[in-house]
Amino acid sequence: MIEVNHIAREFRRAKQVHGAFGGLRTFFARESEIVHAVEDVSFHIDAGEVVGYLGANGAGKSTTIKMLSGILVPTSGEVRVNGLIPWENREENALNIGVVFGQRTQLWWDLPLIDSLRIISKLYQLDTDRFQRNLARLDDMLGLAPFLDAPVRQLSLGQRMRGDLAAAMLYEPKILYLDEPTIGLDVVAKERMRNFIEQVNQESGTTIMLTTHDLADVERLTKRIIFIDKGRVLFDGPVAELKHRYSPFRELHVTLVPNGNEASSVDDIAGVIHVEATPTSLVIRFDPERIAVADLIAAVVARYAVNDLAIVEPALENVVREIVQSGEVRA
Amino acid sequence: MQKLSVLGTLASASIRSELQYRANAVSSIIGGILFQITGFVVVWIIAARFGQIGGWGLPELTFLYGMRLTSHGIFYACFSQMFEFDRVLITGEFDRYLVRPMPPLIQLFTRKLRINAFGDLIGGTVLVIAASTAAPVDWSPLAVTYLILAMIGGGLVEGAVQITLGSLSFRFLQTLPLRSTVNEVFNLYGNYPNTIFPGALRWSLTFLLPIAFVAFFPASVLLNRAGELSVPLWLAAASPLVGMVLFSIAVRVWKWQSVHYQSSGN
Repeated sequence: MIEVNHIAREFRRAKQVHGAFGGLRTFFARESEIVHAVEDVSFHIDAGEVVGYLGANGAGKSTTIKMLSGILVPTSGEVRVNGLIPWENREENALNIGVVFGQRTQLWWDLPLIDSLRIISKLYQLDTDRFQRNLARLDDMLGLAPFLDAPVRQLSLGQRMRGDLAAAMLYEPKILYLDEPTIGLDVVAKERMRNFIEQVNQESGTTIMLTTHDLADVERLTKRIIFIDKGRVLFDGPVAELKHRYSPFRELHVTLVPNGNEASSVDDIAGVIHVEATPTSLVIRFDPERIAVADLIAAVVARYAVNDLAIVEPALENVVREIVQSGEVRA
Repeated sequence: MQKLSVLGTLASASIRSELQYRANAVSSIIGGILFQITGFVVVWIIAARFGQIGGWGLPELTFLYGMRLTSHGIFYACFSQMFEFDRVLITGEFDRYLVRPMPPLIQLFTRKLRINAFGDLIGGTVLVIAASTAAPVDWSPLAVTYLILAMIGGGLVEGAVQITLGSLSFRFLQTLPLRSTVNEVFNLYGNYPNTIFPGALRWSLTFLLPIAFVAFFPASVLLNRAGELSVPLWLAAASPLVGMVLFSIAVRVWKWQSVHYQSSGN
């Protein structure tokens, strides 16, 4: 559905001159520097996949999405989206894709939301029946009815985002690009947004590519992530694999019975990597390949009076933070 | 055909957006008319004081002023959003035009309507009609048709210049100061018979900035003064066509430059 082969995009930027009269000198110095926003990115996405596209700020996420949607022309490399070259067959490609940018609206600012949706149905040549049917379905999923008649400028951020999603899905595109769809939303609104994305993918088989900073989005919605840094792909694969590769250890969190324990330790058990102990708790990091969870629990219970136990998976957020800081993914 | 109906939808959306602010709409039209009246008063005073300008009397000058003003109104009604283009690029609004199945230029033009364009259209039409009996024009259905085509062509000439210069914004992000100046030059020099200017300036205002094609050449043809021109009659008479040709070239230049679009960061 989406094929990307070795795309790169560079930007030219006037070189800043610092010091006295820096602004003026920048203006006259015609020197420019080249910024490589995307250096070398390749991937394939199949129909019906939901892919999380991750990376730090400035890693090249938005630039990639813009090349896939026909907004930017790459400096080099090939892109095919549903068989089309997005920037060459721009209008035809537009019929296949829905795009939502979390930070700007695609709607007509001064008009009621329903007007924007009507205009879009015209742009995409929907007949009245199909428009009404799709609108009813989107209203059902997103609860648009209370603010359909309000001008877009009066909507709250959450309502506006729902409006933008409805606008992007109204003509049932095969592909949906979501650039930071949950940014700035409160917990309830985020949850609604995620439910919608999930439902759209499952019911309509829409292929979805999602950039986000909120890793809860990724853990909830996607099986596959593509991780880029400094314009290159660092990792492309299942979420579980990234966690496993980068952070192979689990943690056992133990709550102890207060004052019920003699001094003891679990440091000597094979497979235990690290222990943080307080009088009322233990955090034991262990390697699940060297010791089974059940054996470890048995050993802990034999040595301590335990109130509660929990196995904690490594959070994707920590994994991502470590990758960004170290700049590499372990093999 | 389908495209035209979508264009109609977009255009009506831009009008409805503007009418959301009713007081602003009314004051815009009145302001537009007042602004153009002051411009005309200057021409009137000069003509009243000296009898004529470059051999053109008050009725002819009024006719020329009216034609140019109507052309400008047509330009402004259709293409006013060129004056917002730099902002549309800088804010990244242009991104959304590129992901919709419609030419981006049309989406730009139908972005918003500048209501004060109607001030120009009304003022210009009133002047043309007021001057039509006093000015020595042989009125016939053909002459009326030519007049209308010439005023549309004049709007297209102005549009072509603004689109061509505006397309440089894809590379340099800001060309509005340059284009505003050019617009002022059109508004200032377009109102006078081109023949009053010295040679180099006259040539520049014909071929460098095609101001003479907006109203002066077609007005000369209608007023039977084409003999005074420094260009052949056929070229002056072809003004409406020149507008269409320049406009289609401008659209091509714009498309050609649009690959340099850089979008904006988030």
